Amino acid sequence: MTVTETRPGAAAGSRPAPNPAQRLISIPAKIAKSPHSARVLFPIAMFAVWLLSLMAVEEIWPFAVDVLPTPSEVGAFMWDEFITDTLARKNLYETFFISLRRLLSGFAIAMVLGTALGLAMGLSRATNAFCHDWTMAILAMPALAWALFNSIIFGFDDRGPILTVILAGIPFVIVNVREGVRNTPRELFDMARSFQVPQSKVIRHVLVPSLMPFMFAAARYCFSIGWKGLVIAEVFGGQDGAGWTIKFWYDAHRAHGVVGYAAFFVIFAILFERLVFEPISRRAFRWRPQLRTEVVEEAFGEHHEHYGEDEPARHG
Amino acid sequence: MAEIRIKNLHKEFGVGEDKVVALEDVNLDITGHSFVSIVGPSGCGKSTLLNILTGIETPTSGTVEITSDGHVAAPGYVFQAARLLPWRTVTDNLLFVQDDRSDATRERCRRYLEMVQLGDKGDKFPGELSGGMQQRVGIARAFSIEPDVLFMDEPFSHLDAITARALRRELHHMWDETKKMVVFVTHDVGEAVELSNRILVFAKGGRLEDDIQIDLPFPRDPADDEVAVAKAHVLRKFEELDLLAS
Repeated sequence: MTVTETRPGAAAGSRPAPNPAQRLISIPAKIAKSPHSARVLFPIAMFAVWLLSLMAVEEIWPFAVDVLPTPSEVGAFMWDEFITDTLARKNLYETFFISLRRLLSGFAIAMVLGTALGLAMGLSRATNAFCHDWTMAILAMPALAWALFNSIIFGFDDRGPILTVILAGIPFVIVNVREGVRNTPRELFDMARSFQVPQSKVIRHVLVPSLMPFMFAAARYCFSIGWKGLVIAEVFGGQDGAGWTIKFWYDAHRAHGVVGYAAFFVIFAILFERLVFEPISRRAFRWRPQLRTEVVEEAFGEHHEHYGEDEPARHG
Repeated sequence: MAEIRIKNLHKEFGVGEDKVVALEDVNLDITGHSFVSIVGPSGCGKSTLLNILTGIETPTSGTVEITSDGHVAAPGYVFQAARLLPWRTVTDNLLFVQDDRSDATRERCRRYLEMVQLGDKGDKFPGELSGGMQQRVGIARAFSIEPDVLFMDEPFSHLDAITARALRRELHHMWDETKKMVVFVTHDVGEAVELSNRILVFAKGGRLEDDIQIDLPFPRDPADDEVAVAKAHVLRKFEELDLLAS
């Protein structure tokens, strides 16, 4: 038997480096492709749509303009709120503090109860069979119904909004934790048992970390759905808080107040995501191989790298 | 010195018409610094035997004793997939199976990581390593508890041929250096001949058909005549068994 060897690449050479002029040309293309530009582009586009629709409405239906808020009106309103110059009973910070307190109380209770129930339902078929339909019923119920119902029962104190947050958020916690328990890595438990690792250590190092992604999903859902529920509950059953205040501006026929307050909601949600959830999640999931979208795009657009023995495995 | 004594081992799954015999009257002694491979076609009960040896399953009848100098032997495991905790670093994966986290233990873990040539990867997470490296961590983990017996279930079957070959060499080194007993399940006859000094051939229905001693010097090159002859011998045995079965 004869084995002939050919060495590829020796004659063909490697890819030529781009010259400086080519690099210069590729800069705008890079900016256009960058995810950051896309992020910046979105609010600019929305702003343009806003202005264009104002102009269009003015053309077709001139008297509506008095009702529709312009960006400058909304901006001025938000600035006044920002420096606590407001007509409402409580200023922006007091209002959001009140709502945040209610949200966090409800969120904490929903997470604790939901985790306990989710664990029980994941571990026991009987418990799951008993609770499943109830969970689905709570899940199907609109937050508006809970808000009305709770304001009838509790009147205008904190309990109604908090209970609404719990009821709106808890099904998501239950379902996520239950799926987490069902997806625990059996082969890792077998491994731990083979090595006779004590139960407490297995819970700490295998069970809890394997549940973490599900807990995070649960927390994010519970928080955002709870927040929506809270605002509705405050509209109907509150004397203060973010929901009550947006209603206040609605009753005062100040469209810029309603839009401005809605913008505060968005800012509040984004800040919470960026300052709380993202750092915690980065820390908790630093073991996950980085999801690098630009690498994927390059792989599709250009050549495919060959991964040898010493290259990291590309799997999650 | 480690010792495995298997007497009249019998294992059945299911009842009535669904009854399947996985192991039939297996008698076996393994002692000392041996490298024993268990080979056979799929469904011959080799995984069942390993599961019984490792305590995951219990025998229907018969006895299994795994001792070391009179007391119960400490076992170590290498699985088909590495089975590492993805959320712990390589070092923490080794420490996870240890009894304590003392300096001596850490030093021992570091030594075994170096033995599998991953001394500089202790702070990496498994997801940052290749499949071959992950399996090396699995091997280091098994050795790091300094077991009396090491059980390995097709540890190289998921790897490419080159990586598997490199790891077989490393495994042979470690076996030679640590003087442990290794019980190795594989369906790759070449691998069994390259590594073992004893090969147990199981047939469908869980019968121990053949017990082959291979007294060739190490390291064994698959291209070597004697190794090739030994491999051909075991393969012929396989074919005979296949004919008998069909």
